[in-house]
Amino acid sequence: MGGCYQDIYRYAVWLSRDRTIAEDVVQEALLRAWKSLDALRDEGAATQWLLTIVRRENARHFERKRPETVDIDNLTPAQSALLAERPDEELHGMRRAIYELDDDYREPLVLQVLMGYSTNEIAEHMGLKQGAVLTRLHRARARLRERMATP
Amino acid sequence: MNCDEYRAAVCAEPSFTGGAEHLEGCAACRQFRDEMRALDETIGRALAVEVPELKLPAADPSVVAFSPPRRSGRRFPIPAWFAIAATVAIAALLTLHFMSPAADRQSLADEVLAHLDGEPNALLPTDVPVPAGRVSAVVPPNIAVLNGNAGLITYARTCVIDGHLVPHLVIQGKKGAITIILMPEEKVANAMPVEGKTVQGVILPVGDGSIAIIGERGERLDDVQQKILKSVTWKT
Repeated sequence: MGGCYQDIYRYAVWLSRDRTIAEDVVQEALLRAWKSLDALRDEGAATQWLLTIVRRENARHFERKRPETVDIDNLTPAQSALLAERPDEELHGMRRAIYELDDDYREPLVLQVLMGYSTNEIAEHMGLKQGAVLTRLHRARARLRERMATP
Repeated sequence: MNCDEYRAAVCAEPSFTGGAEHLEGCAACRQFRDEMRALDETIGRALAVEVPELKLPAADPSVVAFSPPRRSGRRFPIPAWFAIAATVAIAALLTLHFMSPAADRQSLADEVLAHLDGEPNALLPTDVPVPAGRVSAVVPPNIAVLNGNAGLITYARTCVIDGHLVPHLVIQGKKGAITIILMPEEKVANAMPVEGKTVQGVILPVGDGSIAIIGERGERLDDVQQKILKSVTWKT
């Protein structure tokens, strides 16, 4: 399953900001994918198809459970686990900054940087216009740059 | 293209290659572009969080033989990675949907035990409580109400047992972690013992559902059972 599994898992992690929820979401998404395998018409689009299912499954998860307000200084163990890997201070700081981004800004950034999606593909995936995607990406990076510049 | 336009474009897409003419005459924008590319490199490394190893169960022949209903013929060969994932999914599906709940309730105990084996982190001894918000999220009010007498909850996660999302909680006993799995949709006729290599417990009938309470061998669970039964009210 290799890189595709890694992409799906990381996408779910950054969508939910919680490793435990991400594991649940990926598991459920794979089940749904299997059930609707016939809906996949193009093998080359498998990853994109799975990401769409993960996105929907994540939304379902938060529909079923009222989203909690996340205080970065009072995280659950599963949320903390996302920030617990501290290869170096710069990366740790960046993870915290990404974690604190609004969902609307974080998701297109993940799709672009981690998945290599074009802004057109992100727009299609998220149901947005390309201009809106460009704006969100611009704001996301501006915030991260500002945050990383602040000691 | 002026500086603002160029920087907006690069900030949205650091790989942006337009504006070459502007860039040639603007050292500040060249520096900005380099900064944004360096920032993106850090973002990329930050996003690449560690991914847990995908552990695949041994494929049961009956599982491998199973094929889901198809509406039409396959349009292309299934990728190898997906076949592996699908095998896992099929195993779950078979467990979830094709086993008669009335015919073999012992399978519920087996599934609970297998689930515990798959979540060793839940059994770590700790005195750090899970935040109340997390517990509320795992035990939503439309499923059950848990009053404050259940004990100090040190682990809370939504899990899948027999095809249903169920709250998996852990409290700390005298000999170690005590697992509590609330299963409002798993009806059992009588209390059913659960025996593992190092753990033991019971699945208790509660209304139209059941609750699994499992501790380390030697842990006295009578008091815990009473406490849990008094603290849980189904809302399904």
